Amino acid sequence: MATTRILEWLGRLYIWLLLAFLYLPIIIMALMSFNVSPFYQLPFEWTTEWYAWLRQNDQLISATWNSVKIAMITTIICTALGTAASLALYRYEFRGKKFLQALLFPPIAIPWLITGTAMLIFFFGVGIGRGLFAILLGHVALALPYVIVVVSARLQTFAPELEEAARSLGANQWQVTRRVTLPWIMPGVIAGGLFAFAVSFDQFVVSYFLSTPGQTTLPVEIYAAIRKGFTPEINAVSTIIIVVSMALMLLTARFFKFGGEK
Amino acid sequence: MAGQVATGSRSGLRSALPLLLPAYLWLTVAIFLPLSAMVFFSFMTELPLSGKAWFFTLENYATFFSQGLYLTLLLASLRLGLEVTLWCVVIGYPAAYVLAKVLKGRSREAIFLLVILPFWSNGLVRIFSWAMVLREGGILDTALNAVLPFKINIDLMYSYPAVIIGLVHSYVPYMVLTCYLTLQAIDDSLIEAGRSLGASRLQMLKRVIIPLSMPGLVAGAALIFVPVVGSFMEPRILGGRTGTFYGTVIEDQFVAVFNWPLGAALSFILLAVVLVILALASPVLKRAA
Amino acid sequence: MAGVQVSNLSRSFGAHKALDDVSIDFADGGFYALLGPSGSGKTTLLRQIAGFDFPDSGRIAIGGESVERVPVEKRRIGMVFQNYALFPNMSVADNVAFGLSVRGEAKATIASEVQRALDLVQLGQLGGRRPHQLSGGQRQRVALARAIVTKPRVLLLDEPLGALDKALRIDMQIELKRIQREIGITTIFVTHDQEEALTMSDRIGILRGGRLVQEGPPEDIYDRPKSEFAATFLGDANILRGETTGTGIRLADGTAIAAKAGASFAAGTKASCAVRPERIRIAADSGSPDHLNGNVLKGQVSKRIFAGNNSTYFVDRDGQTIKVIVQNTGMEKLAEGQEVVLRWSPESTVLIAGN
Repeated sequence: MATTRILEWLGRLYIWLLLAFLYLPIIIMALMSFNVSPFYQLPFEWTTEWYAWLRQNDQLISATWNSVKIAMITTIICTALGTAASLALYRYEFRGKKFLQALLFPPIAIPWLITGTAMLIFFFGVGIGRGLFAILLGHVALALPYVIVVVSARLQTFAPELEEAARSLGANQWQVTRRVTLPWIMPGVIAGGLFAFAVSFDQFVVSYFLSTPGQTTLPVEIYAAIRKGFTPEINAVSTIIIVVSMALMLLTARFFKFGGEK
Repeated sequence: MAGQVATGSRSGLRSALPLLLPAYLWLTVAIFLPLSAMVFFSFMTELPLSGKAWFFTLENYATFFSQGLYLTLLLASLRLGLEVTLWCVVIGYPAAYVLAKVLKGRSREAIFLLVILPFWSNGLVRIFSWAMVLREGGILDTALNAVLPFKINIDLMYSYPAVIIGLVHSYVPYMVLTCYLTLQAIDDSLIEAGRSLGASRLQMLKRVIIPLSMPGLVAGAALIFVPVVGSFMEPRILGGRTGTFYGTVIEDQFVAVFNWPLGAALSFILLAVVLVILALASPVLKRAA
Repeated sequence: MAGVQVSNLSRSFGAHKALDDVSIDFADGGFYALLGPSGSGKTTLLRQIAGFDFPDSGRIAIGGESVERVPVEKRRIGMVFQNYALFPNMSVADNVAFGLSVRGEAKATIASEVQRALDLVQLGQLGGRRPHQLSGGQRQRVALARAIVTKPRVLLLDEPLGALDKALRIDMQIELKRIQREIGITTIFVTHDQEEALTMSDRIGILRGGRLVQEGPPEDIYDRPKSEFAATFLGDANILRGETTGTGIRLADGTAIAAKAGASFAAGTKASCAVRPERIRIAADSGSPDHLNGNVLKGQVSKRIFAGNNSTYFVDRDGQTIKVIVQNTGMEKLAEGQEVVLRWSPESTVLIAGN
């Protein structure tokens, strides 16, 4: 049918327009980081000068290291604690299980502004104060529910008879977990770990309230720089960040079906 | 019986506890206790740590209700949330429909991934990228003036529309994701059956497809509305002086004015509003899950 | 090898009594089928013996040793699951090796034992494959090899043939029986398929609603069911209800039915007679009753179903339909609507308590 064909064609066109809306600003920002003019003047002239500048910006470099370190530690802690919790929620039936599962949603659903300011108040009140440790505490708490949700989704595809079969063959709880369950849920654990890294590495709001001038992360540094004025240096570092975080998510997609199919 | 659990519920908890405790302890220390502390704090006059004397008071809440400014800003933020959500529905739903029902196979998977990829990338950087496009002498301005025969001046930067554009850009993938999930669950044969009964495309959309995908729409709307009402970074960067909203005022209490008790009260009021909205949406969300 | 004794076993899930005072003696080296409809408690019983679930009360002994509080991994049992439960992340050989390897056996021992087990199930060449590359029947064999390679004291099978199509199922029945004989392992087999239970097992236990209804060799249960349920669940049976006369029953219309099998009851109580459809002779003529076929009923053919080597007649009589199965000898063909006479012997008639 001709109308069907036209409608399909319009649909495709619409999707490409949406993709343009989503990606053009990012592409322009990236291009500007390679443009000679510090005031974003056209015509475009190629340079990598701004990236070279980044290398001399000690503040940015130390913030970058902080971001990477915190994201890695967050990933390790979240993967371990989140996988353990998912296994417990999958394996055992007990009173209050539904409640514990429901508790995972406030950290995801409540705006980070509220969570971040609440953490600031509480950490100050109990003497933890601000700084990298406080940021780490916050990041793990924010990323943990994502890991549990992703690993639990993978566990839903796991057949409980496999654990029973392993036990009937004489394997103890640890052997069952290590040799049967973990190999099966590994894609989910990896996806969860990548999620945790991304949540931490891209996290701005909570880091913003918990950082101090010396102890800060990359997004917080960038925000401070943006508020002082736009510079091609910000474009350069932003381009690096967006490339890293998109690559991370593409990697995650290899292990986790976002669309919920299959 | 195959469905029965191997152990009774009491011993179940005993086995589960060592695995659950680390994760939930962490969540308690870093999320649940802070949220409770915030409520407690919002009834104080001073920080207990500042050394000054403090006592319990309702003054922080009185401030919210007596000074029209805060209420006005909250309403402005709610309106912002509503507008952004509506735009996300208008832009995102058709996209989700095309993805779920028009595109097929590998190209669908790839494009779907492309649409939701930005959502999981750095939000701050994406907001900043709009500054490159929207500012005077920016790309939009330059491009339009290169094409159009007459001179126009596009300077959307530091305006309300700029904030809307930035936020819609940030959150529209969420709407595509939730609607796509419910739309692709609708069996194609259902649509064919409807058509075979003589329903037009528009009738099918109105009477079958939209009702069936309602859970996805509501989920997407709730998940967009809530964070937008609490946004502060986006209005700051793209809104400039026009970008004063409820979220930015809370930010000020903590990083500029240092009136934490008032900030806590304002945060708590926002939390209450958010919880009411999530509670209203939860029956539909439960059906979606 | 070892026998299994289950005594007074009870298990409830909330208000639901999944097992209610069940006692069975599974003889050493025997092949025992647990038969029952779904929800009868047969799987619960098997899981109790395996150790996945613990009883509320009662005893389970394997080889004379009490195990009711021993967890599954310490019971030294072998189990084959309904959907095989092969580990998808391991090769066939690694699946079979799993039980030996978690016990910390030496590599060389494991390799030779695995090969022996795979040879036994005739899959010696397929050790390197992955479970998803195998057919249903092959997966079944791998699951069996995996369960027996550890030399368990008892082999538990949970509807192991349920997922196979009919032809393959019959092959596997023969194969399973051969392997069981070869290694002589005590085997407990859960099924809802009565034919499978009849052809494979030395003894059958019929469960219903968590209780053991009847237990014994297949022929015994088939020839002398003790209840209407046992009679109709294991095989097909016509149930005639009436009052006992001491040596049979009298139907509502006064016809006497003689029974020489089953229990005896005081005259005057309600009782039933069970007759297998293939034991009844059907003829158009009235003839005279002989001493072998002393029971006679008259009726009218309401339906005939042709099934190749046999035919099933449904005969209406006094508001009841009686089922008769006859071999197709080509001699006689009775038309629907025809008046017929049914005859069968008192020896084929089982007197059971009425419900």
